[in-house]
Amino acid sequence: MDEKMSIMVVDDEEIVRESLSQWFKKYDHVVETSSSGFEALDKLEKYPFQLLFVDIKMPGMDGIELLEKVKTEYPDSMVVIITAYGSIESAVKAMKIGASDYLLKPFKPDQLSLVMERISHQKRLLLEHDYLKGRLEKISRFDNIIGQSPAMEDIFNLIPEVAQSDSSILLIGETGTGKELVAKAIHAKSRRSHLPFIAINCGALPDTLLESELFGHQKGVFTGATQARKGFLEVVSGGTLFLDEIGEISPKMQIDLLRVLEEKKITSIGSREPVDVDFRLISATSQDLGKGITDGSFREDFFYRINVIMIDIPPLKKRKEDIPLLIQHFLEKYGHETTKKVDRVTRDAMELLKRYDWPGNVRELENAVERAVVLSQSRTLGIKDFAFLRSSPAPLSRPLSLQEVEKQHIQQILEEYDWNVTQASKALEINRVTLHKKIKRFNLERRP
Amino acid sequence: MSSKKRLVGVVPLGEVPEIALKVIAAHISGYLNLSVQILPPLEHPEYALDEKRFQYNAGIILKAFESKRFKDYDKVIGVLNLDLFIPIFTHVFGEAKQGGKFALVSLFRLRKNPDGSPSPSSLTYERAAKVALHELGHLFNLLHCREKNCLMHFSGGIQDLDETPIYLCRYCSTFLKDRLFRQSDNEESLKKLDKIPLNLLSSKERFRQ
Repeated sequence: MDEKMSIMVVDDEEIVRESLSQWFKKYDHVVETSSSGFEALDKLEKYPFQLLFVDIKMPGMDGIELLEKVKTEYPDSMVVIITAYGSIESAVKAMKIGASDYLLKPFKPDQLSLVMERISHQKRLLLEHDYLKGRLEKISRFDNIIGQSPAMEDIFNLIPEVAQSDSSILLIGETGTGKELVAKAIHAKSRRSHLPFIAINCGALPDTLLESELFGHQKGVFTGATQARKGFLEVVSGGTLFLDEIGEISPKMQIDLLRVLEEKKITSIGSREPVDVDFRLISATSQDLGKGITDGSFREDFFYRINVIMIDIPPLKKRKEDIPLLIQHFLEKYGHETTKKVDRVTRDAMELLKRYDWPGNVRELENAVERAVVLSQSRTLGIKDFAFLRSSPAPLSRPLSLQEVEKQHIQQILEEYDWNVTQASKALEINRVTLHKKIKRFNLERRP
Repeated sequence: MSSKKRLVGVVPLGEVPEIALKVIAAHISGYLNLSVQILPPLEHPEYALDEKRFQYNAGIILKAFESKRFKDYDKVIGVLNLDLFIPIFTHVFGEAKQGGKFALVSLFRLRKNPDGSPSPSSLTYERAAKVALHELGHLFNLLHCREKNCLMHFSGGIQDLDETPIYLCRYCSTFLKDRLFRQSDNEESLKKLDKIPLNLLSSKERFRQ
């Protein structure tokens, strides 16, 4: 037994619980005991025990039933079954269901030591397996793009195909759908993968600054240009340039970029010497560029130039089947980053998250999970942990009156405290009678 | 002896050879530099007999110890010539609650070699001393050690016990020294503790002489 483990002993006999936990404490393991299967499941909900020692014969829920539940809901927890002589069949059944080992009561002290050594070995193998699986997934899939919906599968299939060519790609999708991740995946799968990937958000830079960033400038051509600087179109040399929010760039910049794409040459600001450039362009937009073409703000010839291949990334509300997978991914990510053992979401909370429209798409979902993980006191996230989603303010068409704001705020607090008036009144710092009056006056009701 | 603080009591339960008690006391005193006193025998623990197993329940005996008057002793080790068990195990050589006050040592299974042949008394008492020091280690909060060459390594059978040395590894000896240091409120013993070479490899040889 090398490393410290979190162990739960589940047995209806106190003397067995006491004996085993005393023994494990002598190895510095973290030990918890439960006198029934129900109590064990309650504790597993709150804390991820690595190993359970479960007695087969228990009133209420027997050891086999508990083992089945643990293996279904907490497959990472290992289970050792303890059974009395004469119930070997149960031990065999337990092994078939997924028990890691079994012990016949009473056992020799060194048998328990051997079982613990085997468990330790299994644990090491599982860790190694998880690590290698993770590495393999990173190599064969696209890092951080998560999805198993048909729409995402199409994109996964498309990425390696389009990565092989040098054609310009236009990614279309709402904000937060992961356009930059797709662009990075295309770059990673392309022959340019060992060369730079440079991402620029065109919407975040004023036109003159964007021009300077892309084309570079000579020393002294404008105030503050204290030294010559190469533009990203030159710096990217051989790599991939990702221009996000391409719909935001000015018509002049569209012409300049069009010329670069046709001639593969750039001239930096203040210079007369053109420089050869080589890059693959991937653009992205959350706007309707067709509308821009119609109203004249977006050049049609530039559109066709950047839109040789178009990839439409669906919003999260159109691929809700990916939500559980994304949540699991973000739980692992933030569980690791925050070192908090939060690895589950209750069914109710999952339903809520699936029902929600996610206007901010995957980015909003990621932020929601991160916030819930950071604030959670338990290993399982419930509806309360995502209460802030229901209170997200809708875009306003007109300013709210003070009374409307008060009404909305009271409703939100009541929902957060599950309509517990005492707790809600404390949070609002008013007395319960006043809160009851306000509920009546505003005609507030529990939201479905 | 009288100038030392009475720290550890060694108490026989029922009939136990006096030599066994003396060997255990000498080892505790010699290896850990603690004061040891052999106490008058307690009654045979009939109350702890499990009639189905014909063995004595160590947990019940330890619980009974709590009602005895041992307030002058920091730790008490009960020695028996009976077959001990705890409910999950077929048997135990000794038993102690981690960080507790009372421990038990059974001579019953120490008299036979792994092949079933009777062992010489000297070897039986050496084993008893190892079990006593090991259990005393638990009373001072030492954990089972993964180092095979350490007295605190778990011994499941007689062969393991014979292969286990009577000295502590460097880590456990440092830990024990720290525990003893903290628990001692006697200026004199603090000074002495500072000089204890707990990790003397030569102590094994010293024991054999």
